[in-house]
Amino acid sequence: MVVKVLDRRKMIFVNGVLLALLTLSMVACTLLGPVHLDLSRALRDLSFANPDAEILFRARLPRVLLGVAIGGGMAACGVVLQALLGNPLACPQMLGVSGGASLGGILGLILFPNWLLPIAGGLLGEISWVPLAAFLGALCSMTLVYRFSLFHGRLHPYHLLLSGVIFNSFIAAVIMFLNSIIDFYQAQGLLFWLMGSLSTRAYLTVAFIWAYISFGFLWLWAKGLSLNLITLGEEAAMQLGVETGALQRQIFIASSLMIGAMVSVSGMIGFIGLMIPHVMRLIVGSDHRLLLPASFLAGGIFLCWADTLARVLLAPAELPVGIITAFFGGPFFLFLLYREGRKALTL
Amino acid sequence: MNPAIQTRDLSFAYQDRLVLHDVSLSVDRGEMIGILGPNGSGKTTLLKIFSAVLHGQGAVKINDRDIETYGRRDLSKLFAVVAQESRVNFPYTVAEVVLMGRASYHSAFALEGKKDLEIARASMELTDCLLFANRYLHELSGGEKQRVMIARALAQEPEILLLDEPSAFLDLKHQVQVFELLRRLNRDRGLTIVAALHDLNLASLFFPRLVMLRDGKIYRDGSPQEVLTEATIEEVYGIRVRIEQDPVSEKPQLFICPSL
Amino acid sequence: MKHFQRLITLHLLTAGLFVLCNSAFVAHAASTPRSQRIVSLAPSVTETLFALGFGNRVVGVTTYCDYPAEARKLPKIGGFMNPSLEAVVAKRPDFVIGVSSATDPVKAREMERLGLKVTLISLASVNDILSSIKSIARLLGSPEAGEKLVDKITLQFDEIKKRVASAPRRTTLLAVGLRPLVVVGGKNFINELIFLAGGENIAGNADQPWLNLPDEYVVAKAPQVIIEAGMGSERGDSAKHWGDLKSIPAVREHRVYAYQSDKILRPGPRIGEGLEEIARLVHPECFAEAKRGVNKGNGCEGPRP
Repeated sequence: MVVKVLDRRKMIFVNGVLLALLTLSMVACTLLGPVHLDLSRALRDLSFANPDAEILFRARLPRVLLGVAIGGGMAACGVVLQALLGNPLACPQMLGVSGGASLGGILGLILFPNWLLPIAGGLLGEISWVPLAAFLGALCSMTLVYRFSLFHGRLHPYHLLLSGVIFNSFIAAVIMFLNSIIDFYQAQGLLFWLMGSLSTRAYLTVAFIWAYISFGFLWLWAKGLSLNLITLGEEAAMQLGVETGALQRQIFIASSLMIGAMVSVSGMIGFIGLMIPHVMRLIVGSDHRLLLPASFLAGGIFLCWADTLARVLLAPAELPVGIITAFFGGPFFLFLLYREGRKALTL
Repeated sequence: MNPAIQTRDLSFAYQDRLVLHDVSLSVDRGEMIGILGPNGSGKTTLLKIFSAVLHGQGAVKINDRDIETYGRRDLSKLFAVVAQESRVNFPYTVAEVVLMGRASYHSAFALEGKKDLEIARASMELTDCLLFANRYLHELSGGEKQRVMIARALAQEPEILLLDEPSAFLDLKHQVQVFELLRRLNRDRGLTIVAALHDLNLASLFFPRLVMLRDGKIYRDGSPQEVLTEATIEEVYGIRVRIEQDPVSEKPQLFICPSL
Repeated sequence: MKHFQRLITLHLLTAGLFVLCNSAFVAHAASTPRSQRIVSLAPSVTETLFALGFGNRVVGVTTYCDYPAEARKLPKIGGFMNPSLEAVVAKRPDFVIGVSSATDPVKAREMERLGLKVTLISLASVNDILSSIKSIARLLGSPEAGEKLVDKITLQFDEIKKRVASAPRRTTLLAVGLRPLVVVGGKNFINELIFLAGGENIAGNADQPWLNLPDEYVVAKAPQVIIEAGMGSERGDSAKHWGDLKSIPAVREHRVYAYQSDKILRPGPRIGEGLEEIARLVHPECFAEAKRGVNKGNGCEGPRP
């Protein structure tokens, strides 16, 4: 009988299809929006006094590019965290890193309302204090959660999960406390951190995030086989040749750094890291060597469209994109679960 | 002789509780040993120390080299472990699980090659689970899962096979099948086998050497006739039994004497 | 018969006395207002109370009440959205005045249950603001003060309307936050101020009073004036935020103003001055002083700075 396993053909096919879909999505989402874009006019006169060119290249394209990187990064982190914690309910929010980043960003917003650094302006866009403060917050919470979960040189998934969740709850309380003492106008900024937004024009930021996420993703992809083994259980993985202690530490740090960077730039866009890995598992299987790139690409596609919807749904107002990901992601996932439930794991 | 596994004065403690006391054991290449003892006597701990999951006090040598000097990948090519039960939280097919046994034999970046597939296939055939190669692991019964785990262990092409109560969830037919398979592997391929067992009669039939543990110490070490005596059973397990030699196999068999 | 007549007269006399006494009482009340203790639950209410001349009766304000200067010295009863119930009650106020869209309605009901007289005014539109000034004045027994203040503000409005009447309407964006971009939408009194100032709010067609706006919308609507009225906008730096979108007329012609002002943002008695501030930013040419003698025609031919 034919034994179905992961082979090169499947890898190339699945990733190829997803890559094509991603490219199409990127093109479509750049052309779609609450405002009508005249493409020919946009391309004809690329000087910066052309509103169509500015809409295309300054307002939309950076968002789409950022969306792909963050959607992919969140999905990839979701995959590895579910493997690391051995828990299919794990998601990037659970490590406490995103909470730390949000808190750092909110404090930055409150304490430094002058949010533009002198390094600013022009083509590459402004860099501000707030994302840096957020990233600092992410690093602090990552260190704290790490310290609390380290036992005899090993990161126990159980402790990691617990301390991450508790840390997040604590941070949420602090954020709500801040919410009650800040004024109305600062409260709008708070929503950005809690629900996310891809609003950006700074190509420098986008390029930085792309480089960062790509590097992180490729590094995680190389660990695909070890991730497979670690989902068999810590002991089984050790007996199959994996240095589980080192792997756990490395995955935790890598994903924390990725999540910290993403949340610093776009706020907490939830649900992608939880849902996309499961969706892709139902479609392409649990082998992480395929699941990781497939989830990365699917996450990019998903967030691209979610951002477009966020811009279009209540035009001219822009919804926080985190609302869209949860609102549309949830039912779609439930539908898929209903159809393919047989393949889903039994806990 | 070049002993496959050798321990000297091995001790291990979980927090403050001493689980193994000064265990000195030598397993030769190609030996087939059954480790016996009631629950909590240290059987599982001993196997975990052999496979370097736990580290105890005292020397453990594999092929005359200290176990600490081995890298995990190398160890996984020497040892294969079949645990008592396995919980896999994600949906994998049987074939995928068995193929994971080949992980140490190819680069982390490459997909499995033809040789890996052939070996996996052969392992599944040996353990009679090729038929459900494409089914999901979590859909199988406990016994079927156990056979898959044995197949995965065999796919590792180990020199030493460690099994923790391999017949725990198997029905009678498969219990016998597994033990017959182990004996065949031991005889035909020279696989060193160390198994923690709870069924004393099957242990007696299939394992030429038995090691009885009691409270973390070796109580008896020898052939089934030497180890399985009425006095020993009463002393270690706390129950009275009647031992008779089976005329066909010439091995001692237990008959339980319950108080009626 | 005589008995009946006597009864009628008695009734009439009693009734007459009753009416006389009551009117006397009313007249008495009107001419000598008793001392009233007022707690304000919003900065705009505090400003209104002081502007109406009731500043000496205010016994409690929020931590955000910073105008006029005397208000800052008054005892604080909590924040804007969450006043402290105990602090309010401790002041034994005769009147508690809050804002219907901002004050916590649960707290308001609690205060009423404790016997306090709570009034929530609506400040959603310019009309609401003006009528709320009148109703506060009436509530506190000096309706003329309210009429006078509203007349003063209306005069300010008329003056500005006249000034900008001849100038062409300019598309305007008024932002209160930059990261993310939060702007004034429709159904917002500031939206009306922009209109009165001779501007046209590019987000004025939105249903929400405040909204996040995507950058592409700003580019497409090409506002001629951008006003950043929010916290933290430093004059000079804000232009950098828009610097790369040169197709926007406001950016090209350097009409991005960082102008943090409570007069614009607070729905209180200073909206007349706030209107002037907005008008000066939207139509600076209409405010050029006629130093060179006669104010030609309608006055909006001043040099565009």
